[in-house]
Amino acid sequence: MALFSAFQTTFLLALLSLKTYQSEVLSEPLSLAPESLEVSIDSARQCLHLQWSVHNLAYHQELKMVFQIEISRIKTSNVIWVENYSTTVKRNQVLRWSWESKLPLECAKHSVRMRGAVDDAQVPELRFWSNWTSWEEVDVQSSLGHDPLFVFPKDKLVEEGSNVTICYVSRSHQNNISCYLEGVRMHGEQLDPNVCVFHLKNVPFVRETGTNIYCKADQGDLIKGIVLFVSIFEEPKDFSCETRDLKTLNCTWAPGSDAGLLTQLSQSYTLFESFSGKKTLCKHKSWCNWQVSPDSQEMYNFTLTAENYLRKRSVHLLFNLTHRVHPMAPFNVFVKNVSATNATMTWKVHSIGNYSTLLCQIELYGEGKVIQKQNVSVKVNGKHLMKKLEPSTEYAAQVRCANANHFWKWSEWTRRNFTTAEAAPSEAPDVWRNMKSVQGHCVVTLFWKPLSKLQANGKILFYNVVLENLDRPSTLKLLSIPAPANGTELTLDQCSYQIHVTANNSVGTSPASVIAVSGDPGNKEVEEERVKGTEDGFCLSWKPQPGGVTGYVVEWCERPGDPLCDLQWKNLGPNTTSTVVSSDAFRPGVRYNFRIYGISTERIPYLLEKKTGYSQELVPSDNPQVLMSNLTSYSFTLSWKDYAAESQPGFVQGYSLYLKSKAARCLPGSEKAVLSDDSICCKYKIDNPKQKTFVVENLQPASFYEFFLTPYTSVGEGPQGAFTKVTTPDEYSHILIRIILPMIFSILLIMILCYLKSQWMKEKCYPDIPDPYKSSVLSLIKSKENPRLTIMNVKDCIPDAIEVINKQEGTRKSLTETEPTKPTYLYLLPTEKSHSGPGPCICFENFTYNQAASDSVSCGHVPVTPKAQPSQLGLLTSSENGPKALGKNYVNSLGEIPAGETNLNYVSQLASPMCGDKSSLPTNPPEPALCSEYKTQMAIPMGLASPPSITLLDEGEHDH
Amino acid sequence: MLALCDLGLVLGLLFLSTPAMGSCLDNYQELLGQLQKQADFMQHTSMLLDPYISIQGLDKDGLKKHCRERPGVFPSKDALQQLSRQEFLQILNTTLGHVLHRLRTLQKDIPKAQDLEKLNIAKLNIRGFKNNIHCMAQLLPGSLEKTEPTPTGPGASPSPTPISDAFQRRLEGCRFLHGYHRFMHSVGQVFREWGQSPSRSRRHSPRRGLRKGKHRTHLSSRNKRLMPRGWLPR
Repeated sequence: MALFSAFQTTFLLALLSLKTYQSEVLSEPLSLAPESLEVSIDSARQCLHLQWSVHNLAYHQELKMVFQIEISRIKTSNVIWVENYSTTVKRNQVLRWSWESKLPLECAKHSVRMRGAVDDAQVPELRFWSNWTSWEEVDVQSSLGHDPLFVFPKDKLVEEGSNVTICYVSRSHQNNISCYLEGVRMHGEQLDPNVCVFHLKNVPFVRETGTNIYCKADQGDLIKGIVLFVSIFEEPKDFSCETRDLKTLNCTWAPGSDAGLLTQLSQSYTLFESFSGKKTLCKHKSWCNWQVSPDSQEMYNFTLTAENYLRKRSVHLLFNLTHRVHPMAPFNVFVKNVSATNATMTWKVHSIGNYSTLLCQIELYGEGKVIQKQNVSVKVNGKHLMKKLEPSTEYAAQVRCANANHFWKWSEWTRRNFTTAEAAPSEAPDVWRNMKSVQGHCVVTLFWKPLSKLQANGKILFYNVVLENLDRPSTLKLLSIPAPANGTELTLDQCSYQIHVTANNSVGTSPASVIAVSGDPGNKEVEEERVKGTEDGFCLSWKPQPGGVTGYVVEWCERPGDPLCDLQWKNLGPNTTSTVVSSDAFRPGVRYNFRIYGISTERIPYLLEKKTGYSQELVPSDNPQVLMSNLTSYSFTLSWKDYAAESQPGFVQGYSLYLKSKAARCLPGSEKAVLSDDSICCKYKIDNPKQKTFVVENLQPASFYEFFLTPYTSVGEGPQGAFTKVTTPDEYSHILIRIILPMIFSILLIMILCYLKSQWMKEKCYPDIPDPYKSSVLSLIKSKENPRLTIMNVKDCIPDAIEVINKQEGTRKSLTETEPTKPTYLYLLPTEKSHSGPGPCICFENFTYNQAASDSVSCGHVPVTPKAQPSQLGLLTSSENGPKALGKNYVNSLGEIPAGETNLNYVSQLASPMCGDKSSLPTNPPEPALCSEYKTQMAIPMGLASPPSITLLDEGEHDH
Repeated sequence: MLALCDLGLVLGLLFLSTPAMGSCLDNYQELLGQLQKQADFMQHTSMLLDPYISIQGLDKDGLKKHCRERPGVFPSKDALQQLSRQEFLQILNTTLGHVLHRLRTLQKDIPKAQDLEKLNIAKLNIRGFKNNIHCMAQLLPGSLEKTEPTPTGPGASPSPTPISDAFQRRLEGCRFLHGYHRFMHSVGQVFREWGQSPSRSRRHSPRRGLRKGKHRTHLSSRNKRLMPRGWLPR
């Protein structure tokens, strides 16, 4: 040490002597000036790199020096940067210093110079500045080329929010240059005639491919630009380290946002541990492994550094290794000794050190829920007894562990499923019955509800039904009904039985459910009460029974209209007098009937009350068919006796009768109502739902009415239907009807009688008249060649009086009858002048040929008018024209025959074929009575008439 | 969704193009129809240019007009029409080979995978089209040696002069794609003229079946003049 001090002193003295020598020679102080100054540029980073050396130092001499650096822009006088750079200098050591320019170096010429001074306390006398070096000029523009326009900096990468300076260098003085940032024009400052500078502050992130900044000439296609890559770089998040085996640390993090960087400029991550001084470059972007040192290092201080092209970002983490233990999942997990209610779980854990204890957590899941949770301390092997389990139930048990001393994280769960063993059913089945009597037998239908899973304790295999005859207690009958039946039907010879029902699984039998049946089904007549249902169900209540009641049962059908009504029941305790019956099966508009039974001490149910109601009442679904009767001028009666109000979806509370009429006012008992079609009518309200008839009174005669009847419930009225039209009759119409109807009836009766007796009427009133021209008398006359003999024309006759003689209907004979009958003759009642000439004749009239006459003349004597027409008489003389003329005119001429001129007797006009033809006409006067039953009509001259053969009957022989 | 539709269309065209599956159609008309359809499809700027402009932020009024094809980069329509069919196919094949190479270069400036999807589809399309050109050349008398099927891997096309300036690079890429679509439009028209006037082929007529190596035609001096500038064999 002493030697070193002596050497140093000697060196300094030598240096001083040298300095003294130099001062003496050069007359100026010794200076340590920077030499060999070189300036280079890094355009991408906009940096000037300076390097120089100090040659005047002695060999191995090392001094602290300060160098003052000046940087000027455009011209040397424009110094823009002055900085003192201190460093330790050795002889001929190359010193370096960099300066980052905010302005791209291409935008302007830069010049650099520097000087140095010793800044060492050992040689305070040397602390003066050396001379400046000459200006070193950095002119990038000169090497740009001959393009007319440049924009700088090229492809610069900056962080979001930073400030950037941009410039363009124009070589053309003729064009105006405009610059744009993403299409928006920028305004800058002119640095020199060729260079314009733009200062961008707080640059935003636009897109990953960078922000386009370009300048272009106002004329021509000249355009140049740059891309400014703006980066968003965040520090890593959620940096954390842990170990699972105390051998390896796993560190994880979430990379921060790193937008705007191209692929080649992506981040890198480095993990550095300060205590050990180790460093590792992470291969992954979100995690890294670190080998735990074997020298039992407990504390770790990690620094995670994320780095990109622009900058670094770091996060730190200090921790104790044992506090960051994340145990491995337990293994060798088993569930053993599984009984109906208990099970044992065993497992093993990975050791995390010789003295470490693990805290393990056991969870027991039943039906997807945690039903037991337990913590157990474990070294290596774990064991846990799970109690109070349900028989025949599936469970899941899982276990996880964590460091008991310094909890960090739970391990993953290890899970096992198991099922407990079965046990005998714990509850008796809920039993109910339905009884009916069929042909003297008692048919009991037993129902039971399946046991719940908790009650069954296993799979129910069958149900045992034991029938105990109460009359003969020693008689038992056992029925075994396999599951899953929920009932059975029993036909019993009598009804006094006690029935025991048990459910059985593979392990045992449940307690018995007992129900008794007796001869009396207990369905006594009980008045039904109405109950109002709600959304929550039916609230039923009943009177408590004074006697011994072991309980109550409420019974109902969930599908009332169905033959299989889905019988439901509810057991209630003896102290209960109300319950709420609710079911998802209840539907609005359906009437549900409830029966409440009391259970006697002998287990015999007996009916207490009946309730009926709707869970929700609806309006009536249909309207009654209304019949109208007793229509009078002032009233009519309506009836709807067939309407089933019970089948409506609500209790029918009454009926509304709507009556339309032309009357402005409503009748008493009704009120005005407005219908849905805005028409106004009168409404009668019938409040009694049992009333099925209604008399509408006080109507107007001969008036038009319309009525419509609809029921209503508590919700409203039935559907709108069509009105029935009715018109009241006139006030007197009933009287008219009483008269006219009998008259019409009588006329009809007479007409029917007349029709039935028409032949009789004809014969009585207007019999047929024989045709005289068809009489056989004509042939007789011709055979005698008596020119005078001719048929008498009626027109020629001047009748004086006519008497028509006919015989009774009962004497009529058939023409075919050969039996001679007494002839019927017409007799002329001669007058006193009947013998002279062609004198008057007697005319016979047959009314059959003259309808007019028949209508006007009744049977009997014909009144004869005394007048006669000569011309008509003349016509009768013509034998050829005789019949025709007779047919047409004889009736008329009848009345024209003058009285007293009749001189002819008439004989029968028709000759029967039995009487022979004309040639065989007998000389004797024919007997008309033999030929025809017609009235004689032919007239024979008096001279030819033989008195003995033609005998005029005396008046007493006339047959009228 | 649009990308999926485009992909489906491309795949449909490629599957129509049996050469892509390893063999050539020997039906001239059918193959010509396919080439026409594919050229018509590839001329749409929505296949490449429009997405490129959007991705690179060139969709600004002041920039769009600078995204025009530089003359001489792609053969003009008139020049293509002056070529014989074999020469035309030769030029087409070479040009599309260079387009493929250029697309691989452009791909480097597109950072997002989803933005690359259309570019990759376009590359697939060009490969299929080149295979069809090869098949068409086989159908013409004097099949061209140059029109060989497109290799599945990256080819050894000459790389364009590297441009370090990102802005200039994207402008050039935009101009190139504009020229590419224009070129494919011209190609489609030439193919259509083939279909409209089959006798127009002045020197050659289609033949059926493959004929290899009999009449190999090399690029004429005129063809060389028509080669894209900077792509001439060095």
